[in-house]
Amino acid sequence: MRITKTAQRTILYVVVGFIGIVFVFPFFWMVLSSFKLNRDILAIPLRFFPPEWNWTSYIRVFTAYPDFNFPRYILNSFIVTILAVLLCLFFSATSGYGFAKYRFKGNGLLFTVVLATIMIPFQAIVVPLFILVRQMGLQNSYAGLIIPESLTAFGVFMMRQFFYSIPDDFIESARIDGANEYAIFGRIGLPMANTALLALVVFHAQWVWNLLIWPLILISTPEMVVLAQGIALFKGGYNTPYPEQLAAGVIACLPLVILYLFLSKYFVQGITMTGLKG
Amino acid sequence: MRKASYSVTRLQRHGYVFILPTLIFFSIFLIYPIISAFRLSLFEWNLLAPKEFVGFKNIIKMAGDPRVLNSFLRTIHFSAVSVAAINILAFIFALMLGSRLLRYKNFWQSLIFLPVVLSIVAVGVVWEFMYQGTGILPILLRKIIGVSPAWLTDTRVAPYAVIIVYVWKSVGYYMVIYIAGLLNVPVSYFEAARIDGAGFWAQLFYITIPTLRNTIALAMVSCIIFTFGQFSIQYVITQGGPSRSTEVLSLLIFREAFRLGKFGYASGISVLFFLTLLVFSLIQLRLFKSGAIGA
Repeated sequence: MRITKTAQRTILYVVVGFIGIVFVFPFFWMVLSSFKLNRDILAIPLRFFPPEWNWTSYIRVFTAYPDFNFPRYILNSFIVTILAVLLCLFFSATSGYGFAKYRFKGNGLLFTVVLATIMIPFQAIVVPLFILVRQMGLQNSYAGLIIPESLTAFGVFMMRQFFYSIPDDFIESARIDGANEYAIFGRIGLPMANTALLALVVFHAQWVWNLLIWPLILISTPEMVVLAQGIALFKGGYNTPYPEQLAAGVIACLPLVILYLFLSKYFVQGITMTGLKG
Repeated sequence: MRKASYSVTRLQRHGYVFILPTLIFFSIFLIYPIISAFRLSLFEWNLLAPKEFVGFKNIIKMAGDPRVLNSFLRTIHFSAVSVAAINILAFIFALMLGSRLLRYKNFWQSLIFLPVVLSIVAVGVVWEFMYQGTGILPILLRKIIGVSPAWLTDTRVAPYAVIIVYVWKSVGYYMVIYIAGLLNVPVSYFEAARIDGAGFWAQLFYITIPTLRNTIALAMVSCIIFTFGQFSIQYVITQGGPSRSTEVLSLLIFREAFRLGKFGYASGISVLFFLTLLVFSLIQLRLFKSGAIGA
């Protein structure tokens, strides 16, 4: 027996629609609940929409808790994310270009070594890394957060794949015109790579912005706490009301959701460029 | 490629300059620490008193420590279930979104992808809230099927509560990988198969999956690596509880080192963690190379 095309299509839309709702619902629920009063938030019977819309949780997150300094956490997160991403771009673009465009001795071997570091998960090295960074005197510093968070073999791999795919002719002709190697990289290589670089920006920004374990380990002074860590402490420390926890959560999600709305193409590209082409 | 007449080898040496910064920083902050973990596991050290060499004492202690065994098994369980669920769902979703019957593909894709970009700590907060006794999940479940487990307090259920959050957060990422992979399968394969009378399942098992073998292998291996180290969800939602039922290795390492000050012992657990992951990733790659899956 054959099912008609229309029936197939209807079933598909129902299933995909249901899945879509399931995947969006928790975020939707977070936003909705953050506008509820504490007494309504876990009330029985369930109140789906806020009986009265309440904005004060968003203000109280910033003002009502003297032990928590959320403006500072947000600032720290932005500083760390922006600098770690820039540093990641620098490492990935330079070495990706070097590996892709020069045939020096040991190229293959060194690239394999860099790529093999994918097998070293961050959680497996936090203990020795902490000891090392502490010995360098970088505990409770931006540098201590930024440097380890800027290293990713995925980025190197991705940029190498990209530079591999662009023809050498551009470089050769610039050489014949007498340009030096670094000028060629800056004026020809980098501008061609802007799509790949943007993909790397969104890909890596998301990782750094959300990373919890490293700040949790490295940072013990209140003024250096980053947002993810701040929320985890905010949730764990007090008997914090849910609307305020959720409001803080929404604030933490917003920058990346906005970035995603504008650059969703690059999010997808970043993933496919690292995920494919073994 | 045409070779230029000027000094080629000297020119190629510029490559070293380009890769040097990366090599230096990767060596110091990634490669040295993993070697250092092996060395530190032979010491007893709380960072304050001088390091004391204890040989294999930590390793022997680990072998008999029920807490390490528990975390080891919890990690394997969490990873096995999550990796299987994520990849199967991601693959099914990719097939559905790839269907010619479906329109507005980008819209559907972005809905499923949304959790990937959300802050993981915020995600932990909202799921913990939804799992509460009077939260929306138990209420809905009681309405629909009549019962709801005690999500965060039952030791048999809590590991799955964490897995659900992690799978929900990650599926979109792997779905995108599979969608891109599916686009790379030449349409002519399917056309030829259809002419030969192959149905949906035949096409799936004889064309789609074999052609996507490399994509599947890479998605699985990177998924294993990410999943093994998962820390934030357990830290935020369950803190490893109830009764350590969600205390995965990364959480144990964190606690032994940074709460109890046992840096040597925690390094030993890190080595165990790293080697286990390495073995699993290599087995995985071997399986795909030898063609145990697909064609």
